[in-house]
Order: sequence, then structure tokens, then C-alpha cells
Amino acid sequence: MFWQQLVNGLTLGSTYSLVALGYTLIMGVLNIINMAHGEVFMFGAFVGLFLVNYLKVNIFVAMAGAMVASALLGILLEMLALRPLRRRAVSDLAPLISTIGVSIFLENLALKIFGPQSQAFPAGALSGVQLQLGPIRITLVQIVILGISFGLMFVLRFWLSKTRVGKAIRTTAESIETANLLGINTNKIILLTVALASALGGIAGVLVGLSINAVEPTMGLSMGLKGLAVLILGGMGNITGAMLGGLILGIAEVFTVAYGASSYRDAVAFGIIILILFIRPQGLFGKRQGGRF
Amino acid sequence: MDIILNQYYLQIVIFVLVNAILGVSIYMTLSTGQLSLGNAGFMSIGAYTCAILTVKAGFPVYLAIPIGGAAASFISLIIGYPALRLTGIYLAIATLGFGEVVRVIILNLKITNGALGISGIPTLGTKISKMLSSFGLSRFGGLTAQQTSNLLVLVVLIFILAFLVFFCTRLNRSRVGRAFASIKADESAAEAMGINTTYYKLLAFALGAFIAGMAGGLSAHLTFFIGPKDFAYHRTVEILSFAVLGGSDLIIGPIVGALLLTMLPELLRSASEYRLMIYGALMVIMMAFRPQGLISEETVRFWKRKLGRRIKQ
Repeated sequence: MFWQQLVNGLTLGSTYSLVALGYTLIMGVLNIINMAHGEVFMFGAFVGLFLVNYLKVNIFVAMAGAMVASALLGILLEMLALRPLRRRAVSDLAPLISTIGVSIFLENLALKIFGPQSQAFPAGALSGVQLQLGPIRITLVQIVILGISFGLMFVLRFWLSKTRVGKAIRTTAESIETANLLGINTNKIILLTVALASALGGIAGVLVGLSINAVEPTMGLSMGLKGLAVLILGGMGNITGAMLGGLILGIAEVFTVAYGASSYRDAVAFGIIILILFIRPQGLFGKRQGGRF
Repeated sequence: MDIILNQYYLQIVIFVLVNAILGVSIYMTLSTGQLSLGNAGFMSIGAYTCAILTVKAGFPVYLAIPIGGAAASFISLIIGYPALRLTGIYLAIATLGFGEVVRVIILNLKITNGALGISGIPTLGTKISKMLSSFGLSRFGGLTAQQTSNLLVLVVLIFILAFLVFFCTRLNRSRVGRAFASIKADESAAEAMGINTTYYKLLAFALGAFIAGMAGGLSAHLTFFIGPKDFAYHRTVEILSFAVLGGSDLIIGPIVGALLLTMLPELLRSASEYRLMIYGALMVIMMAFRPQGLISEETVRFWKRKLGRRIKQ
């Protein structure tokens, strides 16, 4: 029972980590919270669903397609809602409000197009194979989710620390002005970061849609909130924090459901936010000042 | 007279006034430069507290509404204290989460009647008419009972809004108001000047929650039914868009915003279907082109100068 729940929690948590990584990347580079990230996640899920249902492509192709489409949406978001604000000095709240606007717009656009009912991936998208490993039963969907999310996280880590572009992103995160002086095209780097963050959100959408077998326009809000909880739990702009924080939240939620209060599952994320703000406001893995990535 | 006292128009004016009160509630928090996304949550705490007190415990309405506000205010202190010691982003996230949690709790509690909501709440209009008829004033010349009760509600709401505006303008000229303004202008500088920023931010947040809670209680007694869906995240975004459109520098800003945005779906029928999409697009556009909102201090100064010159001539 315990090990089974642990695996379920890790699977759920790894999708939270992917979503939280999107918040963290944008937070690290631009120092803002992208409130529309949850809706990018929802958009990715719908793109995946559309590709599988109507174009009958393989589920892995659909995931790649969702990543590309979400990245494009992210680029649009940066150009329309974030870049105009950077040109002039505005208060810290302006990007927050602007992205809230984008999120509410996208959610209601999806409601208009797809309707409020939830839709499912077709039964054959990933066959319901189950493996028995000692006391643990693990489905193929879970293996795919775990494999893809952990794979992506490690690739991202390596890419940020070792490659030239990754280093440019980290420099921009330290200071946009300094990065500009060093000859980095920061506008391009910011665009790339937002696209990357959105791509991660998009594929997380397909993975979550597969695992709970439901895709609906309102899925963005609750997932966005959980990503934000992980962001605070792990420390703002801290990549390791986002990865581990997501796993912690996922496990905490699964155990809350397994051992009692199932209807309060969605309250766990909020409880964690308030608790962390009281005892360790810089997050579990954050330092008090600076030191991003 | 009949056109002015049309049931439908009166109803719209009542909604405009309730929304204007909600606009004041978000203005309060914004006046220290903090963004609260929990106004719908506080509204629902106020509405449910108030409705439960009047329906189940038989409290009089005029007592239940302030109690609802106080309950919302009390809870805001618990959320606000840890979040407001930090920068503005933390409050936005904590209150966003709070709004969702309130919804989950209301859905699961017995006393709030879960997803079904509380119905049969006595409306404010009938309460006031009853009170008046006990004094022997049942009818004003030629008005139907319905019109009288709606008009009375209108008067009460206008009185509350006028009091709030008066309160806020007085507050702005006080020591507290100047502390709010300095925190909004530059938090670190305000702290360096010896202002206890956490205390003043918490005060503004709790006041905003109190007003939102009261507005919740009022709206519960205007619609005679409340359910958990009435106070979802969308309601917060709606309230926020009043302040974004009208501007949050002056108290008149969110009130004008509430007026414009509440009238919009009534004037443009096709707009009501795309209401939330319009709000979303509006927020993005306003932030890009006019982040201070339609009415800022500069706008007022400009018009004063312009009109003043014309009077001199």
C-alpha cells in the first residue's frame, strides 16, 4: 500500500515539477510570475488531444506537437503581454495583471471552442498495460510520465549548466543589463526561455490529460495553483527546488487522499504555501538573496 | 417616472453599486501597492457567514452584514501576516490559493450545504419594507411594493458607498493614508523612513477584506441564493478588472470601472457572452498602453486646469 502510493505520488509529482519548472524559468529570467502558465498547460493538453483524436497520430508525436504549439503560444504571450511592459518602467504588478488577463482570455476561449465538458484520450492512445513489480502495480502511462518528466528535467539541468545558450540564460537571469553589456541578445534569450517554459507546460498538459484521462478548459487554474505552490515550496527561481518541490507536493497529495481527507486534496497545496511562508519564506531550497539556478 | 423606476433598470443600478463597493475593496489593498486575488474568497466568507446567521440563527440583517465583514477580515489577517512580510508576489499567490481553498471547504462543509448552496435568504428589500410598514409607512405615493423595496435598497447601497468614499478620502489625508501612499511609491524607502510596512500593508489588506465580506453579505441578501460557484476565481478577476480599467490611484477609479464594466453587458447584448474574454483582453491592453487606468491623479489635474481656465474666461 505504502509503496504503491509512493509511486502514484511520484508520478503525480513529476507532472507538478514540469509545470513548476516553467514558472521557475520565467521567474528566474524575468523576475515575474506568469499567471497564464496554467492555461498554456491546458492549451498543450487540448493540442495533444486534437492531434490524437483527429489527425490520428501516435501519442508521442502528439506530445512533440503539443510542445511545439505551446512554445509558439509562449512566444505570442511574450510578444503581446510581456514585452510591451518591459519597454517602460511600470510597477511590479503590471506583468502579473497582464498575464492574469491572458489566462482568463485563454480559459474562456477554450470554453467557447471546446465546451465545458471534459474530453478523454481514445482508449488505444497508450494501452492499459500493467506491470507487477513486487508489491507495486505500475501502468504504462505512469512509466511514460515518469520517464518523460525525469528525462526532460535532467536534459534541462544539463543544458542550462553546460551549453553556451544555457549559460546565456543563466547570465540573463543574474542581470538583464549586465547580460546586454556582455553582448548577449537578451530579447532573444527571454523569448527562448518563455518558449521553453511553455513547451514544458504543454507536454505536462498531455501527460496529465493521459493519466487522469480528462482534458477540460478549467484544468489550467488548479494546475497553475499547484505550480505556484511548488514555486514557493522550492524557492522562487530555484530549479532544483522546483523539481523536488513538485515531487513533495505530489506525494503529500496522494497520501492525503489515501489516508483520509480525499475531498480536501486540493487544499494541500494551499496549506503548504501558508506553512512555508510562516516557517521558511525563501523556500526549502532557496537562499535568502539572489543565487538563481 | 415609470421608465426610471423600471424593475430592470433598478436591478442594474443595484448591481453597479455592489460592484462599486467591491471595487473599493480591491482599491484598499492596491493603495499600498499589493495585489490581493482573494476578494471573491473574502466575499464568500462574508456572504456565507451572513446568510447562515440570518437564515439559521435568526440574526437581523443589519447586524449580520458587519459580522460577515469582520469574519472575512479576521481570516485575512491569518493569510496576510505570513504573506505580507514578503514582497507583493507572495500575497497574490497566497490569496489566489486561498480563494480556491475557500471554495473547496464550502463545497465540503455541511453548514454551507455543499454544492447546493443556501437558498431562501430573506432579501434586503423585503426586510426593509417590513421594518417600515411596522412604523406604518407601507407605501409611498403611487409606487408598487416591489418598487418601494428596490428603491429602499438603492438608498441603503448609495449610503454605504458614499460612506466608503468619504472614509477613504479622509483616510488618504491621514497619517495612515500617507503611510499607504509611501509604501506604494517605494516600499524600501518607506521602511527606511521608519514606517512599519508589514503593519500598514496588513491593515489595508484587512480593510479590503472587510469591505469585500460586507459586499458578499449584501449580495447574498439581494439575490436570496448563494452557491460556491458564485465566488469562483472569475469573480476576483472581474473585481480586479474594475480597478485595472478605472485606475487605482484614486478611489473614483474602481467605481467608474465598476460602472462601465457592469453596464457593458447590458448595453451590448453580444458582449455578455464574451464578457470574461473582454475582461482578459482589456487587462492586457490596459497594462500595455495605460497601466495607471483611465483615471489617474494626472487626469484629474489636467481636467481641473482645463475647466478652471474656461471658467475664468
